[in-house]
Amino acid sequence: MITVRIRFRKVDEAAYISLLDLQRVFHRILKRSGLPVYYTQGFNPHIYLSFACPLSLGQESICECCEVKTEEENQDFALWKETLQPLMPRGIEITSVAPAVSKVADIDHAEYAVTVPASAADALDEYNAAPAAMVMKKSKRGKKEMDLKEFLPHIDYQPEGDELRFSLMLPCGSGEAPNLNPALLLSYLQQKSEIPPWLCNVTRVKLYTKNNEEFC
Amino acid sequence: MTSFSPELRQALSLVQKPGRYTGGEPGSVYKNKADVDVRMAFCFPDTYEIGMSFLGEKILYELLNRHENWWCERVFMPWTDMKEQMERLHIPLYALESKDPLTDFDIVGFSLEYELCYTNILAMLDLAGIPLHATERDESWPLIIAGGPCVCNAEPMADFFDIMQLGEGEEMLQQICAVVEQGKKSGWNKEQLLLELAKIPGVYVPSFYDVTYLPDGRVESIRPNRPGVPERVTKAIVKDMDSFVPPENFVVPLVGAVHDRASVEVLRGCVRGCRFCQAGQIYRPFRERSPKVISDSARVLCHNTGYDELSLTSLSTSDHSRLEEILDRLNAWAEEDHVSLSLPSLRVDNFSQSLVEKTTKVRKSGLTFAAEAGTQRLRDVINKNVTWEEIERGCRIAFAEGYTSVKLYFMMGLPTETMEDIKGIADTAQKVVDLYYSMDHAKGKGVQVTISVACFVPKPDTPFQFCAQDRRETLREKQKYLLSCVHSRKIKVNYHDSATSVLEDVFAKGDRRMGKVIETAYKKGAFFDTWEEYFNYDRWRESFAECGIDPDFYNYREMGLDEVTPWSHLDVGVSHAHLVREYKKALRAETTQPCNHQCSGCGANKLLGGPCFDYSQNSIS
Repeated sequence: MITVRIRFRKVDEAAYISLLDLQRVFHRILKRSGLPVYYTQGFNPHIYLSFACPLSLGQESICECCEVKTEEENQDFALWKETLQPLMPRGIEITSVAPAVSKVADIDHAEYAVTVPASAADALDEYNAAPAAMVMKKSKRGKKEMDLKEFLPHIDYQPEGDELRFSLMLPCGSGEAPNLNPALLLSYLQQKSEIPPWLCNVTRVKLYTKNNEEFC
Repeated sequence: MTSFSPELRQALSLVQKPGRYTGGEPGSVYKNKADVDVRMAFCFPDTYEIGMSFLGEKILYELLNRHENWWCERVFMPWTDMKEQMERLHIPLYALESKDPLTDFDIVGFSLEYELCYTNILAMLDLAGIPLHATERDESWPLIIAGGPCVCNAEPMADFFDIMQLGEGEEMLQQICAVVEQGKKSGWNKEQLLLELAKIPGVYVPSFYDVTYLPDGRVESIRPNRPGVPERVTKAIVKDMDSFVPPENFVVPLVGAVHDRASVEVLRGCVRGCRFCQAGQIYRPFRERSPKVISDSARVLCHNTGYDELSLTSLSTSDHSRLEEILDRLNAWAEEDHVSLSLPSLRVDNFSQSLVEKTTKVRKSGLTFAAEAGTQRLRDVINKNVTWEEIERGCRIAFAEGYTSVKLYFMMGLPTETMEDIKGIADTAQKVVDLYYSMDHAKGKGVQVTISVACFVPKPDTPFQFCAQDRRETLREKQKYLLSCVHSRKIKVNYHDSATSVLEDVFAKGDRRMGKVIETAYKKGAFFDTWEEYFNYDRWRESFAECGIDPDFYNYREMGLDEVTPWSHLDVGVSHAHLVREYKKALRAETTQPCNHQCSGCGANKLLGGPCFDYSQNSIS
């Protein structure tokens, strides 16, 4: 059995597809593709399909991935990619299909590219100067207060036109591992000054393993 | 996110389920605007989830988009949160594919599936910045058209539409698009265009007809006011169901639709002639699609969409004369393709062992039987030719197959109904419970019988169109009495408040004067009337009062058998004489045979130009 990783971009229209809906979409597309994906062997067989580190609704990503399995040897994965792409909804672009190298559990942190309106400069400066930035993080186990500065001591932003750009490196583990959504920082900044949320753009650009290697 | 305007992005960031408003689903059609001659916006006046479940739109979307130079796109009613944002941010109502406002289209078409969606149509026109009244729009505005079953009484919405389609759209809508294309190229004004469109079979141009009223409020006459316009518009039909292939592509919704599965229409029309049922009359004559076409196109559809559930749809699927052959053909590939079959609209009287076996290979869900009335007398009145023995036989088979939940549909407020008939509903359910316990069943596994009771609404073009509706107090009493008759915890009773049924009937049987009531209520904030949380009966009462229209005149008054109805100029095929005959038989509790046994002379066969069935072959059981 080979684990196959499908990597894709999720942008534009597709940014508004929730994880639950995305799973259903992929199920149908995989079924439709006729590719030799592995079906679970239960009473109601269904395609084995697993997504890593689901993205928040409305955020974009150029490094999403999911995995399926196949029992067939010697697959032409370039052909898989060609088969799947035309079936995808707008905004989903398959970047690669290949046997998985690392495990999803190895994902440790992610890099995000963020743009905010220029009016956010004061709030960012204030953030950089503050000794601590306390936010409430909601999880399945309830709410927990935490200090963003532990993870993001300083935000180095660059003006570009009427926008500011910066990049964030945040923990992004699956299961019990810590996971931080860039939206936490944005809502912190929005509390400090008027920054319209729809003018803020978050794109996940890369996933890394513990050894700081790109996840693939 | 380059494809969205900043305003749209802002709106999407503030609403629930933004995926309803983004388009781009697999199967959606995108074309280059520069190569397109006719653009049509197909509007469904309810939410995305409901509209995307609607088979009619899928049929027409595919048929129109097969024309290279036409582009049909989809529009749905935005949910209240999105509507609010669109109004605040001045985003006009747009089509999901191109995101262009409706004013950029040549044709804006609405599907009239249900009377209580009428206010949503006005809301959608308003959101698009299109004047509501047909008289306020010249040729610079898109042609606003309607289709769907409610057009059989088009009058309540007649003020708002340029043309309305009576009957089936497969051929008619393509003819309309062709005329619009020609009109655009020839630079016709609106009058010229409408005159040309009025020549298409099934097309009704409301402004070409004048209505006069009697002093007592009844309609006196409805007459064309232009030469060359037909006295009566005759419904358009597709004579041969195999003449077009059912859709082989669906736009597959990303946000879950109510019916999120592949479906294929197996037949059109109904042989049964239940006297309360509008669909059973207006979709006549009965036409079947052949098993091979059904199976082949369904397989392609499942393959193209990736759906793992296929539903065979129609008014009464088990009335297909070759149903077993259809199922055999489908089962030949379904398992291998990981597709399971479902058959809604089964009838209890021809529900068989082999049918259950052929449809429940994968998963067992509950079973639903429509008994409609609680006593044999009343079932004879409404011509629902189902007997207790047949219900018992159906339930016996189902229980033996391992089903433990049965749903029974009934109606309340039927003509000639007495409290005895209401008690019969509870008795029927109790007998089903008793049947379960009289049979071998898994230890500790109980049965659940759900009775769903709807309020009867007399509809146009049915033998009961002449009847008055039960008053709300009477219906409430009957509901209370039904509850007092149920003594088992195994029986669950579902019923609705009757206020929506009142309104449904007033619109169903209303005349052209109803338009201003609908508009007044809309201006007072009525939309999403199908949604309980937005329905406000007092708002409607005020609107009727302001317009000086008494709703009771429409639903609590028995109509004379010779009265001019507001829909008398719209011919769905079934003759007035037939409706009168059936109504009189109903009052005598006499039944009528299904059409495939014996022709009852309803008149719809004129649409085919010959008999609907070959009665010389005694092939029907």
